[in-house]
Amino acid sequence: MSSTPQSDDRRSRASSRADALPLSTPPLPVSTGPAVVFDSSDFVRRKSLRTQAPVDIRLLEYVPKCDSNLVCLICQCPFDIPTMLACDHVFCRECLDHAFRAQDHRSKRCPTCRTHVDPKKEPIPVPRILLSMLEDLMVKCPNTKAGCTWLNKRDGVQNHVDLYCGFSTVECPAGDCRFSVLQKDFHKGCLHYTVSCELCYTSIMKKDLEEHQRTVCAQRMIKCPHCEVEMLRLDLKVHIKDVCQFAPTACPGAIVGCGHTCDRRFVPAHAKTCSMATMAPFFQAQKTRLDDQEAAQKLLQRKVDILEGGFTNISNIVYPTNSSDDSSFPVTNPLDPNAAEPLPETPDFRLPPASFPPPAASTNNPPPPPFDISTHHLLSLHESLREEVGRIANDLASLEGRTHLLILNENQRAKEEMLHTSAAINSLRTQVHWLLSARLQQGRASASGGASASAGGSGSASVPAGSSLGSASLGPLRRLSDSTRQDTKL
Amino acid sequence: MAAARKRILKEYTECSNDTPPGMKINFDEQNMTEWEILMDGPEQSVYSGGHFKLRLTFPNEYPFKPPVVSFKTKIYHPNVSNDDKGSMCLGMLRPDAWKPPNKVISVLHLVRTLLIEPNVDDAIEASIASEFKDNKKGFEKTAKEWVKQYAK
Ligand SMILES: [Zn+2]
Ligand SMILES: [Zn+2]
Ligand SMILES: [Zn+2]
Ligand SMILES: [Zn+2]
Ligand SMILES: [Zn+2]
Ligand SMILES: [Zn+2]
Ligand SMILES: [Zn+2]
Repeated sequence: MSSTPQSDDRRSRASSRADALPLSTPPLPVSTGPAVVFDSSDFVRRKSLRTQAPVDIRLLEYVPKCDSNLVCLICQCPFDIPTMLACDHVFCRECLDHAFRAQDHRSKRCPTCRTHVDPKKEPIPVPRILLSMLEDLMVKCPNTKAGCTWLNKRDGVQNHVDLYCGFSTVECPAGDCRFSVLQKDFHKGCLHYTVSCELCYTSIMKKDLEEHQRTVCAQRMIKCPHCEVEMLRLDLKVHIKDVCQFAPTACPGAIVGCGHTCDRRFVPAHAKTCSMATMAPFFQAQKTRLDDQEAAQKLLQRKVDILEGGFTNISNIVYPTNSSDDSSFPVTNPLDPNAAEPLPETPDFRLPPASFPPPAASTNNPPPPPFDISTHHLLSLHESLREEVGRIANDLASLEGRTHLLILNENQRAKEEMLHTSAAINSLRTQVHWLLSARLQQGRASASGGASASAGGSGSASVPAGSSLGSASLGPLRRLSDSTRQDTKL
Repeated sequence: MAAARKRILKEYTECSNDTPPGMKINFDEQNMTEWEILMDGPEQSVYSGGHFKLRLTFPNEYPFKPPVVSFKTKIYHPNVSNDDKGSMCLGMLRPDAWKPPNKVISVLHLVRTLLIEPNVDDAIEASIASEFKDNKKGFEKTAKEWVKQYAK
């Protein structure tokens, strides 16, 4: 984004030099326009999914209980859109409308004190403090019973329910399904198909299965086969695995090799005597560390692969000609048509430096190098490539600077020329003007019927610069061309 | 409608926290527009010792229309209609006198006050009212008899 204006600027400069109006439109409206459109459409989409009616803020639970001075006497709830009458009584707008509807509509009265209400002057503006006190009220989410723990200012509740509450109901993700799901279960897809409870064979909707097996199912309880405690079937696996004191449990040293198995309640006693159980935590820690490192190494390996690919590409671009004869580092260059022919040797930065012999020579190297030879090679390659790229970048920058200067100079000259031309045109215009007026005067003088010769004399007398009488009409023309040339030289 | 239900629920909470003496409210969450009220006759009145059952019905337009109070137990009182309805309709309970800010708790207090001190100027049973004015002894006797007969 930050680079856009710059490149745009450059483009417009170039285009103005090409004698055209800058075609580039300002970037800002272009980029914000579609974004706004997208946002609103997205919002509409979410809205259409909502199956609940708008939140009635009067039905919310207020925490702590609302001050009784902020309570509407009609609905007994904190004001929703407070509306004040001239008698200083305040009601919710909806409550007041409702009260007026129940009254004779020709004479409306305050529901509290029965003062006449003048519909032209009332309701009157509500004091600012009342509004801000109402703004500060804290409410619970209307889906609190379903499990939402949201608690915040009440003007945010609609937004929360529409966009963020996981316990709002929305249309089922399956297009042909008429049911609704909780927002938080939306990603699970449609669960509105019938399954059979594997315990009691009742057919039931998938989404209700767990609830059924937890609270309703006749077969939901089971006795633990080990400790005989009764519990939910759903919890049995976890119970046997982690809790049951009578379930056969392996010694904690099992990961190191202890094959001992006994009831869970005897495990601590065994662990005290078992040396492998004592060692187990260390091994466990070791293992997790190993796993961590393996994962980190995988990540690094991927990075290296990507970088290597990048280097190959760059070297292909920078040195497209001499890739074919490099056996130590086979880089194929599809762009090079002469790949098969041996080419005159250029200093090849891809050859490993002398201190690192090429892989072919490393066979008789007695001590194994601390790192893989190819890694070194790769690293040095990296370095030289980096230098190369830096140099190219510098060259590019200086080239750009020079071009820029050139363009500027050119521009300056063109501008000066234009100035000259316009000055010349200006003087030309004044000359023509003078000529015209002279001619006009002449015409008028001859038309008035006086001696034509004297008229011509008087006409030429008005010429400021001295010129011969005989060539009165030619004089200005010659001078004009003279002055034009002079102006151009300036 | 939801707002009206909420208000009725709130009023029930308020009434059960501060029930007038001798009263008990049976509230059914499934049908909260009908309250059953059990009321002992006030000690200082002729109805002392009696147990009265009342019904409080909230109209659909509540709180823009008043709740309806009716005695399910027969009572000899100038302000309670002497029929199967046993309706009580005076003061703030009149539709034209009712204001939306009025609350059920004050209705309950009004009922209790009326048992202690009947309002003969706004009576529904004119004969009982005139007996109360002219022959208080006779009124008290009949009232006590009715208590014994119907409100034990
Ligand atoms: Zn209100
Ligand atoms: Zn008022
Ligand atoms: Zn929520
Ligand atoms: Zn579905
Ligand atoms: Zn089942
Ligand atoms: Zn067990
Ligand atoms: Zn062991």
